[in-house]
Amino acid sequence: MSENMIELNHISKRFGNHPVLTDFSMTVGRGEIVGLLGPNGSGKTTSIRLVNGVMRADAGSITVAGYDPVHDGEAIRRLSGILTETAGFYLNMTGLENLRFFAELYGVTETQRPLALLEEFGLTDAKEKKVGTYSTGMKKRLGLAKALLHRPEILFLDEPTNGLDPEGIRMVIEYITRLNRRDGTTIVLCSHLLQQMEEVCHRYVFLQGGRVIEQGTHAELEARYIKEATLRVETRAGVAEHKLPGRQAVPAFLRELTQREEVFGATLVNQDLESLYFKIREVAGRE
Amino acid sequence: MNKQAMWAIAKKDMKAIGANLQVWLPMLILPALLGVVLPGVIIGLTAFMSMDSPDMQEMAAWVSKINLGPISAKLAAMTSLNQQIAFVVANYMLAPFFVLIPLMTASVVSADSFAGEKERGTFETLLFAPVDLKSLFAGKFLASFIPAVGLSLASFVLCGITVNALGWKLFRGIFFPQLNWLPMILLVMPLLSAGAVLANVFISAKVSSFQAAYQMGGVLVLPFLLLLVGQMSGVLVLGTGALLAIAAVLAVIDAILLQLLLKNLNRTALFESQVR
Repeated sequence: MSENMIELNHISKRFGNHPVLTDFSMTVGRGEIVGLLGPNGSGKTTSIRLVNGVMRADAGSITVAGYDPVHDGEAIRRLSGILTETAGFYLNMTGLENLRFFAELYGVTETQRPLALLEEFGLTDAKEKKVGTYSTGMKKRLGLAKALLHRPEILFLDEPTNGLDPEGIRMVIEYITRLNRRDGTTIVLCSHLLQQMEEVCHRYVFLQGGRVIEQGTHAELEARYIKEATLRVETRAGVAEHKLPGRQAVPAFLRELTQREEVFGATLVNQDLESLYFKIREVAGRE
Repeated sequence: MNKQAMWAIAKKDMKAIGANLQVWLPMLILPALLGVVLPGVIIGLTAFMSMDSPDMQEMAAWVSKINLGPISAKLAAMTSLNQQIAFVVANYMLAPFFVLIPLMTASVVSADSFAGEKERGTFETLLFAPVDLKSLFAGKFLASFIPAVGLSLASFVLCGITVNALGWKLFRGIFFPQLNWLPMILLVMPLLSAGAVLANVFISAKVSSFQAAYQMGGVLVLPFLLLLVGQMSGVLVLGTGALLAIAAVLAVIDAILLQLLLKNLNRTALFESQVR
């Protein structure tokens, strides 16, 4: 994972007088799953558009698999699969017709590929139905199938689980993980659902107001921001929270506690991604 | 040029026209009205009305004033005034209809080409595909050009059947079309369609809604309406020479429009034109 697949260096982008990205730098390693986290309008979607060469940065440089999106946008778009927030399907065409159309645009030669993907995402029964009649979740799954038609090396997923039911979310999360492990696909994931991000991402990039305010693996971020571990313990007496001087103190604390009491469960509550997200934003806000 | 993608886009758009009654019905009504019903009524009246009626007398006077050049001798050889009027009306006065038909059918489809994609939220997906803009524009061009020329030719054939059937009583043979229609059908009609499509596709790429594209594109029809008035009033009769000259001018205009379009191809600008 050492080789960088995507590099954005000191990117700036404005829409009129409104700055969207400012001195924005981030990297994504080959085969990595990176989560872009940030509130609405923090620049997640714009950075994906810039990387794919459909928008041009005002300053800075971008490379994707060694290509420059300004001059080699087509080569990048051939490597990339994209699921945008709205998916962008032709509602008067069936699911299968949509996939066949995009397969032609992406130069897919495997004629059975659209059908195989419809099957993979549980849409075989709806393949002859017009996309206009699909539920939000079905459109999302079809969008994912579309993004995977040409077996991309890089996958950009903007809110891939929005509108999905719990089974749909589970299916998408498992598929993303499997795809990354099996094919080594590099994945950039934007989502507000932090628990799901935590399940799949190797690394995170935190955005705020068009700037990268932090990036790193969970362990790196935890080491930087969590100085105190809060352990929620369930015993016969009930549930209690204990403040410890870091996660390394947990084993000794639990050894000592289990000698005195019956312990039914113990969870670190302030070290999940959500806690990190708010901590990082709080620190960035202070700075 | 990515021909596979170009034809995929063209086929997808043409299929969408066929699937949408609100689009293809108006597209059929205009050619049917201008290409079949109106010529049929005019020729029917000239064929069956008595030359004693004041209207026919007026028309006969009108035909005698028009300078038809080489055709005048052919007219002089005709045995009845009804024949002369029907012949002139069919072979000369209908020409502007076949200018308006490709122009207006091309405008409806091409105004929707990019603006429709923007309105439906599908343009972003198209721009994210690894398709060069020339192929994308070529696909959109064909999706408008093929139906426009196809409908115009079909309405011309139907016009021919109607006119000859109604004029059979007078001529006992086929009197329409004469050779003067060749430059009209083979040159003017396709060149005009191409120009209308290029202009409308260009406008459609720039604006964000179909309505805006259609209204702006509609301005293109105005000069040709003057042509219609000129021809119908006998002020301007388009002979073979005039049609060849018009075809040459149209070819130049088309070439300029194409250059302009190719010069302005810019994915970023196109993308930003649909961001709301």
